[in-house]
Amino acid sequence: MREATIRAIGLAAVGGYAAFIGWVYVREPQTTAELTGGITAAIGAYRIDQQAFDDGLQFFRREQFEAARTAFERADAARQDPRTQFYIAYSFYRQGWGRVYQDDALFRRGLEAVTRAIALAPDGRLVVDDTDLKMRSADELKAELEAGLRLELSDVNPLRVFKSRK
Amino acid sequence: MNAAREAIYLPVLFLTVALLGGVRIGQRVTLLPPTPFALILALLLTGTLVKCGALAPERLMSASRRTLANLNGFVLLVAMFLASAQAFNAATPDVGLPRVVFSVFLLVLLLNTLAASPDRVHVLRSLMVVFGSAFVIKFIVLATLSSPVDGRLKQALLLLLEGVTLGTLTQEPFHAVTGYLAFVTLLLFLIGLMLLPNAAHVDRRPGAALQARPRSDLQG
Repeated sequence: MREATIRAIGLAAVGGYAAFIGWVYVREPQTTAELTGGITAAIGAYRIDQQAFDDGLQFFRREQFEAARTAFERADAARQDPRTQFYIAYSFYRQGWGRVYQDDALFRRGLEAVTRAIALAPDGRLVVDDTDLKMRSADELKAELEAGLRLELSDVNPLRVFKSRK
Repeated sequence: MNAAREAIYLPVLFLTVALLGGVRIGQRVTLLPPTPFALILALLLTGTLVKCGALAPERLMSASRRTLANLNGFVLLVAMFLASAQAFNAATPDVGLPRVVFSVFLLVLLLNTLAASPDRVHVLRSLMVVFGSAFVIKFIVLATLSSPVDGRLKQALLLLLEGVTLGTLTQEPFHAVTGYLAFVTLLLFLIGLMLLPNAAHVDRRPGAALQARPRSDLQG
């Protein structure tokens, strides 16, 4: 092989490897699924497990939130699909919502998931076309979760019990 | 040095060191980028390698080389620099008093080596001893002291360190794999340093073209 070809191949290969290392340091994947999923997502070849997603959606609509999350996490094992992450966040919101108080631990995990969804969405904008949901945009869901985690005077307002879950 | 080594093998080897040097496996996998201090140590190490002849930058970048070859040389230098920073990162304890002591010790050691200007072989041997000792202290001595399990080695070390407040010495316990990874990382780094284009084959006489020459010619 010609020397110039070897040098050019080397430059391209090393550039690609360096970019991969940079990505790994930024994203810190915790599992092999996250690592491979991240790489396939970077080249636009990532696909969720549609069957598991549909199962998750059914559980979500039946208010079986833990089962729904298990199915959603199976569907998007690499945590690369913004729509699935949005539903995971929404399941935390619905499970953690209460008329008298919110479950902060669940809201916090919901906030993590919706933040992930926003980061994954193109230009950070995510709108889910689902008539069953009262909040269809990730920004709205994030604001609701953040409000639930904030300690405010309105938290002790007795009229709060009339608020409805979204 | 042949093109494949300069353009592919060595940069890939050094980038692998840069990748693995920051890996810490505990409750979760954490990747630590090089600290500013590790970058300073890497800069000093690069200077030392150039001064002792273990690295001949003129064989990687010079006006007599083609643009593509100079680019390969530049990439190799950057990869070596990053690998050096991550090798120090891997060998230095992550927190507490040992981190401060190690950092100062490595800084003084590198400055001393730079001032002494030993030859390539001595610098490489010295680096092997420095990284080897750092590995033993971090991954055997400190890891044993920080381990929640009371083994014989821990008891022996506790006996030696009687009177010392262990809180200043103990580190965040990590999975045993971290130690093995660090060992491989440091070994790869030292192999990479040995394979760098060195000054033994450079004719430094004024006006001489860069070419392969035996070391005896240079000394004569």
